[in-house]
Amino acid sequence: MKIAPLLYGDRKVYTVSSFNRGVARYLGRLPDVWVEGEVTELRRNQAWANVFCTLKDPRTGATLKVTIARTAYDRLDLSLEEGETVHAHGRAELYEARGELGLRAITIERLGLGGHLLALEQLKRKLAAEGLFAPERKRRLPRVPRAIGVLTGADAAARGDLVSTIGTRFPAARVVVCETRVQGQGAPAAIIAALRGLEAHAEVDVIVVARGGGSFEDLLPFSNEAVVRAVAACAVPVVSAVGHEQDTPLCDLAADVRAATPTAAATLVVPDAGELRAGLDATRKRLEASVRDRLERREQRLSVLSGRLRGSPRLLLERRRAAVDHVGARLQGVSPLATLARGYAIVRASGEALRDASLISPGERIEIELASGSLGARVDEVRP
Amino acid sequence: MSEQSFEELQRELEDVVARLERGDVPVDDAIALFRRGEELYRACVARLEAAELRVEELSRGGNETQ
Repeated sequence: MKIAPLLYGDRKVYTVSSFNRGVARYLGRLPDVWVEGEVTELRRNQAWANVFCTLKDPRTGATLKVTIARTAYDRLDLSLEEGETVHAHGRAELYEARGELGLRAITIERLGLGGHLLALEQLKRKLAAEGLFAPERKRRLPRVPRAIGVLTGADAAARGDLVSTIGTRFPAARVVVCETRVQGQGAPAAIIAALRGLEAHAEVDVIVVARGGGSFEDLLPFSNEAVVRAVAACAVPVVSAVGHEQDTPLCDLAADVRAATPTAAATLVVPDAGELRAGLDATRKRLEASVRDRLERREQRLSVLSGRLRGSPRLLLERRRAAVDHVGARLQGVSPLATLARGYAIVRASGEALRDASLISPGERIEIELASGSLGARVDEVRP
Repeated sequence: MSEQSFEELQRELEDVVARLERGDVPVDDAIALFRRGEELYRACVARLEAAELRVEELSRGGNETQ
């Protein structure tokens, strides 16, 4: 059917119906596509020919009306819940009565684990390429935070483990808890808001994101792009304790430190007060010892100095005495008396020491000097 | 000293001890340093024994924010 305008002189004017029909036909030429979104406002009524829902883009909040034949929907046996991510296959359609754009779906598929994993893998690669997970971005945790921010769901176990371990290790700790929605629709926005709240707290020096185990889908908000970016951009260091060991939500990679459990996170964010105290006491002992050593060494040096001072005249005397003794010994060595003491005698004639027998004649007087005393004698015989 | 964090206090205490242990500080200064060390030690211990674990709740304002 041709869509004919009304003519007002030169002006072609379309009725609303014919405009809508024209656009609808134009849209009808677009190809079939797959559209991904979160299910909201799902309405199914036994009396209706179609099932209605709205798909929402979780990143931007943009929405799209989707219709699917009730019989087709029922055959799929999806039992969809609000907030679930689906792929709808169909084409653009204009609801002519209201000029509303929508998607006429032929089929709808729940985004399965495979789809989620693929999306997650792609996001992981993209963020890794941006350097969001790089080791050099990781910050050191404060050794003794003024206050510890705890972001948690209504998960009594995770929160209890975390807080009680903190209290045991470091009784003087201050913990600021922000409980928030951590799964399902709106969780990413709630997590980001909570993170911002804790980050803005004046004394919070470190934030622990604690979430116990859950299904893959339950943990998805912790791999949400905006959440991961918020964790990476957080003004204070973040410890991520989300899910169990085998789960690696992307926020674990963006956090400064990853903890396997809330208890492990607690041991990371506060030191052991007992150990700290022991360390302090040891330092104090060193402090005392250093000053004691200092004073003792000074005292020792003083006593050595004063000893040297007082000892010096005696030392001089002894040294002189030793020198004199030495000279005396040398003197003894050359003294003829020492030779006489060994039994030798000196013979003198006319006061001169006699060394040659031919220089004297029988009958002449000689003097014989012994070690002790001397003899006067007359020569009987000469044997030259 | 109250504005200093525990870590700052502890680091200063370690510095004081290290300087004294090096032994190149004049004795009069050493006594003053020792006093400062004692003060730092007491401040650290006071921080450790300050109080019981405090747990506060941050308002849940953010929950529904879009």
